[in-house]
Amino acid sequence: MKTLYAEGDSILHRASARSKLVGLLLAGILTFLVTSIPLLIGLLVASALLLLSTRLGLKDLLRRLVPLAVTISILCGLTMLLQTVETGIISLLRLTLLLLVSTAVTATTAISDVMDEITAAATPLERLGLLRAADIGLAIGLVIRFVPEVAERYEVLRDAHTARGIRPKTLSLLVPLIILTLRDADEIAAAIDARGVRR
Amino acid sequence: MATKDIVLAALFAAIIILLGIVPAISLGFIPVPVTAQSLGVMLAGAVLGAKRGVMATLLVMLIAAIGMPILAGGRGGIGVFMAPTTGYLIGWAFAAAVTGYLAERLITPEQTGLTQIVYFFIASVIGGIVVLYALGITWVAFFTGIGLSKAFLGSLIFIPGDILKAGIAALAGRAVMVGYPLLPQRA
Repeated sequence: MKTLYAEGDSILHRASARSKLVGLLLAGILTFLVTSIPLLIGLLVASALLLLSTRLGLKDLLRRLVPLAVTISILCGLTMLLQTVETGIISLLRLTLLLLVSTAVTATTAISDVMDEITAAATPLERLGLLRAADIGLAIGLVIRFVPEVAERYEVLRDAHTARGIRPKTLSLLVPLIILTLRDADEIAAAIDARGVRR
Repeated sequence: MATKDIVLAALFAAIIILLGIVPAISLGFIPVPVTAQSLGVMLAGAVLGAKRGVMATLLVMLIAAIGMPILAGGRGGIGVFMAPTTGYLIGWAFAAAVTGYLAERLITPEQTGLTQIVYFFIASVIGGIVVLYALGITWVAFFTGIGLSKAFLGSLIFIPGDILKAGIAALAGRAVMVGYPLLPQRA
């Protein structure tokens, strides 16, 4: 499967995943404490420079930024119209800033590194007996392993519909897809237990 | 937690992800294509029950967070948790929890098919629309400063599509229960 990580050797690429994630969290909190427009503009420029320092290509940058930028523009435009212009501008600056910083973090942090941080963050929950941290990695691995399989099954079902002259509809595809997919659960669970993956 | 529960949640998460990849449902009579991913969330609760349904939605969120573009429209990365629409994403876990909880309690095997479909529909509407929108609207309102009442009015245009999805979820949820019952039934 495709990922949003882009290989490189910029300063952000070399920074540890934990520092980047904590930094992003702090940026998120701080941004909402700042209410001065000039200061927000300054921070926005700084975050744009941060994103540029990852040396992503222009096309790649646009592909990452445009979808959310559209949502943000619409919502902030509405805020300007419905509330005050100032409120709209402040939220536009804040949300764009966060979009730039989080895009930079996503592009420079490998999936395995984020996974390690998530497992580490889950360890306190493990001590409370709520879950086993190792299960998170196992479950995510299972999902990634089974998406292509489910997609293939979906196509087979769609072709089966077409072959019989039935227009494929969401409902008539979804029911067999769910039943066929979930029916494998027993075998997969047995295979996992037989290999002693979970102690 | 039994291994089978983890596997079921993971398989359903894969189904939710697929629903974000396949072309959106075209309904014919509504011009806007409806993305099927939130249908998957209602179904996660209706088919698997509250606990495993929540696990499935949390897995989808985690996989998006670690940087895979698996949300509808190819979105992903940690940024989706710092966006104006994040409430609708985090709300998935609550939607699946409420849909699943209601389905577990309202539906019994002795009921007629129609009763079961109606109950599945009620569970999907309360979980997948009332609860999800409550979180989504509150988040949008505070994140953009647009105000609660205006955020509420703006989101009304999405309600008809979601009611339709609740209908599909009810029919599909009941059909899956007949074919392969998994819902932990409670008296």
